[in-house]
Amino acid sequence: MTRLLKFEAVNAYYGRAHVLHDVSLHVEAGERVALVGRNGVGKTTVVNTILNLASLRGGTMQFNGRAQQGLRTYTAARAGIAVVPQGRRIIANLTIEENLLLGGAVKRPGPWNLASIYELFPILRERAHTPGTALSGGQQQMLAIGRAMMANPSLLVLDEPSEGLAPVIVDQLAVIFNRLADAGTALLLIEQNLSLITRVARRLYVMAKGSIIEEGALEGLDIEQLHKHIVV
Amino acid sequence: MIAIQILNGLVYGSLLMIVASGLVLIYGLRRVVNFAHGSLFMLGAYIAYAASLQFGFGGGLLAAVAALAAVGFCLDRFGFRLLQDRDPLTVMLVTFGLLLVFEDVVQSIWGKQSYSLAAPEALQGTVDLFGSPFPVYRLAIVAVGALVAACLVGWLRYSRIGLFIRGASTDPVTTAMQGVNTDRLSGGVVAVGAALAGLAGVVSGPFLSLSPTMGSDILIDSFVVVVIGGLGSFAGAFVAAMILGQVQALGAVYLPDLAALLPFALMTAVLIWRPSGLSGSRV
Ligand SMILES: Nc1ncnc2c1ncn2[C@@H]1O[C@H](COP(=O)(O)OP(=O)(O)OP(=O)(O)O)[C@@H](O)[C@H]1O
Ligand SMILES: [Mg+2]
Repeated sequence: MTRLLKFEAVNAYYGRAHVLHDVSLHVEAGERVALVGRNGVGKTTVVNTILNLASLRGGTMQFNGRAQQGLRTYTAARAGIAVVPQGRRIIANLTIEENLLLGGAVKRPGPWNLASIYELFPILRERAHTPGTALSGGQQQMLAIGRAMMANPSLLVLDEPSEGLAPVIVDQLAVIFNRLADAGTALLLIEQNLSLITRVARRLYVMAKGSIIEEGALEGLDIEQLHKHIVV
Repeated sequence: MIAIQILNGLVYGSLLMIVASGLVLIYGLRRVVNFAHGSLFMLGAYIAYAASLQFGFGGGLLAAVAALAAVGFCLDRFGFRLLQDRDPLTVMLVTFGLLLVFEDVVQSIWGKQSYSLAAPEALQGTVDLFGSPFPVYRLAIVAVGALVAACLVGWLRYSRIGLFIRGASTDPVTTAMQGVNTDRLSGGVVAVGAALAGLAGVVSGPFLSLSPTMGSDILIDSFVVVVIGGLGSFAGAFVAAMILGQVQALGAVYLPDLAALLPFALMTAVLIWRPSGLSGSRV
């Protein structure tokens, strides 16, 4: 099995602020992993470390088994790790189609292209030439997912995709994530929405104050216990 | 008479447009207000002058554009890229310092006297327009401006690199997340911006006379264009360049006492009406 992403005792900082403390985690090819924790514990900082937006100053991070040094923001996408960032970050002055094409900046071979993304999200085809930010929140999330899939990633990192969305949209997201995972894409799902986590993930990490405090299979997990780690 | 002034406005507007679109490109990718841009314009004219003595106007043009692209690339690689986490004011001061350095270098090589770059022979002479003679060369400037505008629009709208540039000038981080090397992209874009300044300098050569400070006036007018157009907007800059070209040309004839103030009056009026410029801030 290929280890797509591995953190080993990672310490990450924003300037002098030490946010991640000895974080170790990994995602294998095709896995469905959740990362949970309350607001401000450092979940997004895990993503930012992958993207070199927080600085890694201790421990090692590997993409596809290769230690990353001199990492740049564009490295992850080229190594097959695509990110759906928190807040979606749709580029306002580009159309929906252009946002998708930007996601295809990395030309990795695979099943995902404009046609197959439009098939997955027909609404994006209908609105292809309107600005990306003219969509509703849920549709923007689909655009962000489509944009990430355009890179044909082996690992899709999703940072709180359900944030601010209505329950029926979250149900749709669960279906979509399972479809992507069934098609072979590994998922690292950062979430606080328990029902989404339990429908998608098979294994999970719990974070508190910048450290991983628990990890294990989702099956047989005490949901009440899990709830306590998430709800503020 | 007024038709001729409007044509003159179009000529100056075209030059402004070429210079301002370089400023817009550089601002978009690096968020730097490049004060050195006027000196790049001036360098273009001098390099073309030096090369034209050997190789004629065409050779001078090619030499200047190529040299300025190289200067732009170095400016990004060893300037903007290293300064990208600094306070914008610091970077602005650095570009202002570069302006002075380039002016001094040119002055120490060519001295203070002014030179003039000869227009290509085919474009010398005049044509009769609206009953008075009009220099053919000025019409050629308008054509160059239109060609540059068309190429830039086509490149930015329809090419893959153009898509990356538009993405990066709105949100460089998200664009980099998609796997785009935004530093390398910026190097190329600053090179293009500098080459455009150089091109404008060469094209103005036969029209203005060459002096180490020849870039200052057009730099100030170009800043006005960029601000009126909305920082970072090409469409806005195109429109603003044409308006300012007219204001300068007509103002010089009909309001000569106020001509120097008109660009700033126009800028103030536009900013009161639309605080983020004509276009908002879209590219
Ligand atoms: N750019 C930054 N500079 C400095 N500190 C930051 C920065 N971004 C986040 N932090 C701090 O780092 C800590 C972890 O933030 P992070 O965004 O990783 O949390 P999170 O778990 O993603 O929270 P949320 O659930 O609200 O998204 C917080 O204390 C936050 O204030
Ligand atoms: Mg977060």
